[in-house]
Amino acid sequence: MTKRKKKPQGPAPVLVADGLAKSYGEAPALAPLDLEVARGESVVLVGHNGSGKTTFLRLVAGLLDATDGDVEVDGHLAGSLEARALTSFLPDDPVLYDDLSVREHLDYLGRLHGTAGYDDEAAAVVERLGLTDRVDDLPARFSRGLRQKTALAIGLTRPFELLLIDEPFVGLDLSGRTALIELMAERHAAGAALLVATHDPAYVEQAERCIALRQGEVIFDGAAGAADVLALVS
Amino acid sequence: MRDVTTTVAAGDSIAALADLRSARRRNRLAKLHWIDALYQVYLTALFGGGAVIIVSGLVSGDELSSSGIDQVLREGPAWLGVLVALAVAMGLRSGARGGPIALEAPDVRHVLLSPVPRQAALRGPAVRQLRFAVFVGVVVGAIAGQLAVRRLGGNFLAWVACGSLFLAATVALGLGCAFLASGRRLRPWLATLVGGVLLVWAIADAVDAVPGSPTAYLAELAFWPLDVDPVAGLLVVLAVAAVVVGVAGIGGVSLEAAERRTRLVGQLKFAATLQDLRTVIVLRRQLNQELPRPRPWVRERHHGRFPVWHRGVRGVLRWPAPRIGRLVVVAAVAGLALRGVWEGSIPLAVVAGLALFVAGLDAIEPLAQETDHPGRREALPLPEGYVLVRHLPLAAVVMVKVGIIAAAAAVLVDPSVAAAELAALCILPAAFAGAAGAVISVLMGAPEPSDNWQMLPPEVQGSRTAFRTVWPPLVATLGTLPVVFARVAAENDSSPWEAATTAGFLVVVFTVVVAGWVHQRAVIKDWWRSQQELAGLGGGGSSSSSGDDGERGGGRSAGPGSGSASRGGPARTSRTGGKPGARKVTTRLERP
Repeated sequence: MTKRKKKPQGPAPVLVADGLAKSYGEAPALAPLDLEVARGESVVLVGHNGSGKTTFLRLVAGLLDATDGDVEVDGHLAGSLEARALTSFLPDDPVLYDDLSVREHLDYLGRLHGTAGYDDEAAAVVERLGLTDRVDDLPARFSRGLRQKTALAIGLTRPFELLLIDEPFVGLDLSGRTALIELMAERHAAGAALLVATHDPAYVEQAERCIALRQGEVIFDGAAGAADVLALVS
Repeated sequence: MRDVTTTVAAGDSIAALADLRSARRRNRLAKLHWIDALYQVYLTALFGGGAVIIVSGLVSGDELSSSGIDQVLREGPAWLGVLVALAVAMGLRSGARGGPIALEAPDVRHVLLSPVPRQAALRGPAVRQLRFAVFVGVVVGAIAGQLAVRRLGGNFLAWVACGSLFLAATVALGLGCAFLASGRRLRPWLATLVGGVLLVWAIADAVDAVPGSPTAYLAELAFWPLDVDPVAGLLVVLAVAAVVVGVAGIGGVSLEAAERRTRLVGQLKFAATLQDLRTVIVLRRQLNQELPRPRPWVRERHHGRFPVWHRGVRGVLRWPAPRIGRLVVVAAVAGLALRGVWEGSIPLAVVAGLALFVAGLDAIEPLAQETDHPGRREALPLPEGYVLVRHLPLAAVVMVKVGIIAAAAAVLVDPSVAAAELAALCILPAAFAGAAGAVISVLMGAPEPSDNWQMLPPEVQGSRTAFRTVWPPLVATLGTLPVVFARVAAENDSSPWEAATTAGFLVVVFTVVVAGWVHQRAVIKDWWRSQQELAGLGGGGSSSSSGDDGERGGGRSAGPGSGSASRGGPARTSRTGGKPGARKVTTRLERP
């Protein structure tokens, strides 16, 4: 496979990383990275464990401090108030309040993002993810998969222009996985840019662009199929 | 898609945050049983009241004479200034590492990543923390004030008010500095430097080495009932200013540091509650991001012999600079305290002992890692004692270096041949005792939940807990005995060197006994368990070599997997110290 760079065409990019680097002590996690993601683009991040996928997503979300360079979301520095309003980040480890039910999570956290709380749209997402019967239960008693579904519902029912998802399919059953793929496709069709880090080669087929990382460096950036991805990460 | 940009200006997100927090408070209160709450109040009142009565008894006595009060006025502010400097130093260090607020993980993920102004989101937790800390400061300060009035005389209310004001202002200043450092993202090294300089200056002032530390002036506030110095009022002004500016800028906190702190502080408190010192150390290192160096300081060659030794050496050669720096500082503290003992301040032996214990906890790191991961150790076809005892020589080597630094610090204060000779005599006992105390602490670990001792009355359990806490540092403090004996001998016109040599020899013999305990510990535990079974008490807990098998950071190790090899039959015989098994495997492992 030939390595090629793709420059997004058309409207201004929603995500711009300029010389973005992160290291922990003397150990580099992400080499200086220059990257742009266009508005409404669907991008999948692939790479071995420790290749820098999660680090990159967390830097964009504002959860990590860059060692060097910077990253902007729609012209706003990552982590700023404006960037936070535009970004929805779904990490691979669902973190939920032990003393709030699913409904309360969706209600209060939705309102933090300016939605009406637990409205019809939230109820629809909950139903599609198979959580309707558990909406008044505390997530503290949920299995890993149900917690993941709750976190997905919270992340998908709020407004965003950039969706960052880290390993979205871990712990999900088949119906949950299908519902998630459909929900992501709908958000994408509505104009949101998706940046999905996954080890699942099957999902790569559905993305417009694939970025492969190895030891913090981009080794491939362009359209790719499942077979290409397997070759890149094997 | 909705218009995302409209949510940025939505002021009602702050109201939504308030609703979120009140809903959580409501849910928590709904679960809280009022009898539990009353019981907690009862316990707090009981133990708090008991502590006040005991301390009051300790400071009871006649009022000081005017010369005594003059001495208190002369020396007191400098010593209380150390407290102020300590509060500032701790605040700066905590703030530089994402503190002092330890948010819950969902708050970091959902609230701080939402378009709510962070300053508004963090103000509530910051004010709550400040309010609680200042309240504690007021109460403790008032108690200290009512104790002071017994010896120093004067107006009762004035002492209580000034005590409360001083301690509340000190606490507020420390927290204000922490908020400032956190919001301004002060670099940890800079926080350590500023706090360290302030603290060293205050201590030097307290021991009359240098005059006029700023914190001593501020601490004169506590002595206003005796002598009003308006300058001391600056403490309150500074505290208020630090809090106001700190809270105003708290929104600048690093989410990376906040999340790390969130993850570790809860575990840290839990480990401290369980008296699991090793876990506390490991978590503190994670909190301070004290990671091993990717490349060792010096490349070490390994020719295949003595694998346990070489494994330890490689670990030590990767120690990060802050750990080495801490060891040097702790060694210097031990040396200076021992010099103080030699000069006549015998109680400083406790300070020296604690410093040696702290140094020992770092020195035995390779051995401690074996206990952190018992599953890994169990995978070795070697008896537990065989492996653990082979970690001791490296700990001894590291501690001897610590002892040399301590000796140099002790001698350099006031160089003389006699001091150098005595220091040289004390290096080995101090080093070995420090390591022995740390080894005992780590191998004892936290109490096991399935322990038979849990069935005993609280008074017995309490005594055992006290013993477990005090014994390891006490063993480390034995390392100071040569200096104590030398001092006592010098006071009685005997040869201090002979006394130091005798005491040192006994201490070294004792540490050899500790090494023997490390080697035979599993056998002893097995024997003890079999005696319990014979007495009908039940085995209680796990088998000998997996008795303390909590994999630190990874939950309890799988009993059947890791422990099965050490349970019952021939496997047990070969794992708990049997020589034939050890010899056979040693040949295989140590083959070049």
